[in-house]
Amino acid sequence: MSICQDLGLNFQQRMGANISQLERDIGSEQFPPNEHYFGLVNFGNTCYSNSVLQALYFCRPFREKVLEYKAKNKRTKETLLTCLADLFYSIATQKKKVGSIAPKKFIARLRKEKEEFDNYMQQDAHEFLNFLINHINEIILAERNQNTLKVQKNASENVTCNGTVPQNTEPTWVHEIFQGTLTSETRCLNCETVSSKDEHFFDLQVDVGQNTSITHCLKCFSDTETLCNDNKFKCDHCSSYQEAQKRMRVKKLPLILALHLKRFKYMEQYNRHIKVSHRVVFPLELRLFNTSDDAVNPDRLYDLVAVVVHCGSGPNRGHYISIVKSHGFWLLFDDDMVDKIDASAIEDFYGLTSDIQKSSETGYILFYQSRDASC
Amino acid sequence: MAVQPDSGGKDDVKTQFVTREGTYRLMTLSEYSRPNRVGYTSGSGSSHVRVSLVSLPPGPGSGAPGSDGQGSDDRICFNHGKELYVYVYRGVKKAADLSKPVDKKMYKGTNPTCHDFNTVTMTAENVSLVIGFSTGQIQLIDPIKKELSKLYNEERLIDKTRVTCIKWVPGSSNLFISAHASGQLYVYNEELTCGTTAPHYQLFKQGDGYSIHTCRTKSTRNPLYRWVIGAEGSCINEFAFSPCGTNLAVVSQDGFLRVFHYDTMELIGRARSYFGGFLCVCWSPDGKYVVVGGEDDLVTVWSFSELRVVARGQGHRSWVSVVAFDPYVVSFTDPDNEEVIEEDKQKSESVQCYRLGSVSQDTQLCLWDLTEDVLKPPVRARASAHLSPNSQTFSPNGIPGTKLPTKGTKSNKIGHKHAELSGQTNATGEPSGAKLATKTKSNNISTLNISVGKAKEENSGSLGVNSLTQRLAGFSFGDRRSEHRRNFSLTSKPAEQKTSASNTVALRGKSAGAASNDTYDPLKLIGTPLCPRFDECPVLEPLVCKKIAHERLTALLFRAEYLVTACADGCVNTWARPARTHNGEPRAHRRFERIDLVD
Repeated sequence: MSICQDLGLNFQQRMGANISQLERDIGSEQFPPNEHYFGLVNFGNTCYSNSVLQALYFCRPFREKVLEYKAKNKRTKETLLTCLADLFYSIATQKKKVGSIAPKKFIARLRKEKEEFDNYMQQDAHEFLNFLINHINEIILAERNQNTLKVQKNASENVTCNGTVPQNTEPTWVHEIFQGTLTSETRCLNCETVSSKDEHFFDLQVDVGQNTSITHCLKCFSDTETLCNDNKFKCDHCSSYQEAQKRMRVKKLPLILALHLKRFKYMEQYNRHIKVSHRVVFPLELRLFNTSDDAVNPDRLYDLVAVVVHCGSGPNRGHYISIVKSHGFWLLFDDDMVDKIDASAIEDFYGLTSDIQKSSETGYILFYQSRDASC
Repeated sequence: MAVQPDSGGKDDVKTQFVTREGTYRLMTLSEYSRPNRVGYTSGSGSSHVRVSLVSLPPGPGSGAPGSDGQGSDDRICFNHGKELYVYVYRGVKKAADLSKPVDKKMYKGTNPTCHDFNTVTMTAENVSLVIGFSTGQIQLIDPIKKELSKLYNEERLIDKTRVTCIKWVPGSSNLFISAHASGQLYVYNEELTCGTTAPHYQLFKQGDGYSIHTCRTKSTRNPLYRWVIGAEGSCINEFAFSPCGTNLAVVSQDGFLRVFHYDTMELIGRARSYFGGFLCVCWSPDGKYVVVGGEDDLVTVWSFSELRVVARGQGHRSWVSVVAFDPYVVSFTDPDNEEVIEEDKQKSESVQCYRLGSVSQDTQLCLWDLTEDVLKPPVRARASAHLSPNSQTFSPNGIPGTKLPTKGTKSNKIGHKHAELSGQTNATGEPSGAKLATKTKSNNISTLNISVGKAKEENSGSLGVNSLTQRLAGFSFGDRRSEHRRNFSLTSKPAEQKTSASNTVALRGKSAGAASNDTYDPLKLIGTPLCPRFDECPVLEPLVCKKIAHERLTALLFRAEYLVTACADGCVNTWARPARTHNGEPRAHRRFERIDLVD
């Protein structure tokens, strides 16, 4: 622990010059009111968390809901959500416009909540995002159920006697922000019956190809797949396993579309995960081509708002940073350091066109926010 | 069977591809690059390798410097990193000689990004080459005589940002235009100076989403005009003059194509990308269509007469970096074909099928056939092999006076006359008009690679069988679109039609002074003729889609005998066109006899 504190101190001292540099770069007149750009201190390989937290902070609908939660919920039991809310609140209420903050409580809580994160090793930023979103959602659901239980107890003791708590299926604000729906359509090649199944997602995980765009990767995500051999489809109509064709398309487009680029591929010959540094371009604006026919809003227009970038050569080494868009300009958050970058510098994070170089700085998780988002 | 192959970088790089004209072959010895190619390390960022080609008028002095007695009047210029090269270009006839560049330049602290030869003033012994740089400066040189060297915007007082596109004004000996990443476009006169102070501008003209300024000085100086186009600071990615030189099409990072009348500076029309910036633009040889490519991975076709997006091409796996029409492969209406004549007599001379090429960051070259049946609204259900029956209820796209066909059964074969301009070129090396073309009989061409929107085949069981329709129409699960989407009309809903119509009026009128922001809001534009919904607009598939390089492709030029491509690692490649056939018989292979030696 003492090592970490030393590190933190060092960083803060080093930051002195940089902080004013950021303010100078933005310009005092251009500096958006009520906005704070605070780096997050690294507690020893916690950049996976820092980068994701910064990206989420600049997903405005998410930030606002977290701050709202903070305002509504007077201190109860400490959860990861209360720690996150405290952290966001602390950033949002800083006197200074720029600086750095140590997310000590959040990291401590995170290490308690999940064993895998209870060490000083580099973690996968996407795994962390996935855990965080789901965990927060569960907290909200649990608190909501507790409340309904209380309400039921207080209001009426003779309403229901079957004893089961009516499951509240209303979406949480986490659902409202991140949840989309995929519809998987399967056609049995024997009886031609098409069955479709909906499933929810918080992010889409796409394979990456060399010299492609995220648009193309998403299209491939929805390519038709033939289920055959060991992977046959159990057709209810035929009551047997049959060859089938399957594809997944987006039925409900989420408010914030999180795209995870599958850049860590398990290679059998090396017996480990290898980073795929392929160049995948991602535009600042996006629409989906892989929507289903019954999609509600198939031409929803998205803006890129944040990117978690992996720097380095493999999943368990290297570094995470994030670039975010705020009030029309782009910022780079590298743990406790914050820099303004030119939008044209984003192309540095597309990836590499050759495999010669081992290390790369590549977009890993993309956050696209719907332009019709109410904020 | 229907699963697409892995799109990874393992696909082989093709050295030839086949179209209905025949086989295009890479001329491996006609590769131009920097003389001593050292191991190239893929750097990120500015790899804007561009190519300029010029055919000098044949002069008496074959001993003129640069021409080297090699008997070629073509010169090629390309940039790579800090370097710029000019070589004698010997096309497919002879191998490239990289040891003797006509000129080579190495710049410090800045990279050349674009260049253009002046075809008006050139002679056998000299040619003006204007070069734009990544830091905003502009240089004018004569790579042959090497006497000329002028600088513009030297102190970066006019613009500090990257020159994204530079071109001579068509037919002008001294005017050129530079577009910048700042979203501004400047008209320069090469004879004027740029002054020693930053220019003070005064408003000259203003319109919907653009303004034009002149310098407020006693003596005329550069720039003559400053055009400020689009959202503030949104990079102009390319501009192109119409073949007649009257109209100027400009594409920007804000996702808009804007077409201006150059002399009157009026905005004639616009189009909006499906999403992201538009990166490249070109005109059809007859000036009827503007094609743009962009960050939506699409090739978008915009009709100049109808001021609307008429089709989109989907086939690239990444951003489209260059679009160019091939003026040498054009199909004409067959006057012998009764059907065509009876359909539209005045247009029996007009082009029936355009050939378009595009290259992308996906390292692929795509060729497209733009056929009249797609470009023109579906007046009759030709080539309707893949249209569902209800597609015949299309509204005829707001074209008044057109009637739906009474003939229901129509073969999907279109009588095309396949004509290639037989190498006739004027001084600029461009074909001197489609009408000069010698018409050559060729096979009927069925436009099988076209399907409209998400129109579905009636037979939903044909999944994976008809590969041509599969990608768009295919995988029909028998699911039905909701009613309002199935009965798609290309003119969209009445309400939107109304607004878009008024937009058009405003645009066509004088300058629309009170431009509301709505006219540039993509959320309002979706579903209008400026940006149709994806399933409301015909979607083309490429005729050819081939990976032809290891690196991102950055240039594509069509010439009578070959095509030229370039990629980000600085390699300029030449592709020989197929040997021509005349009346079905192989033509004399005089022009190509040396190819075989090379190949």
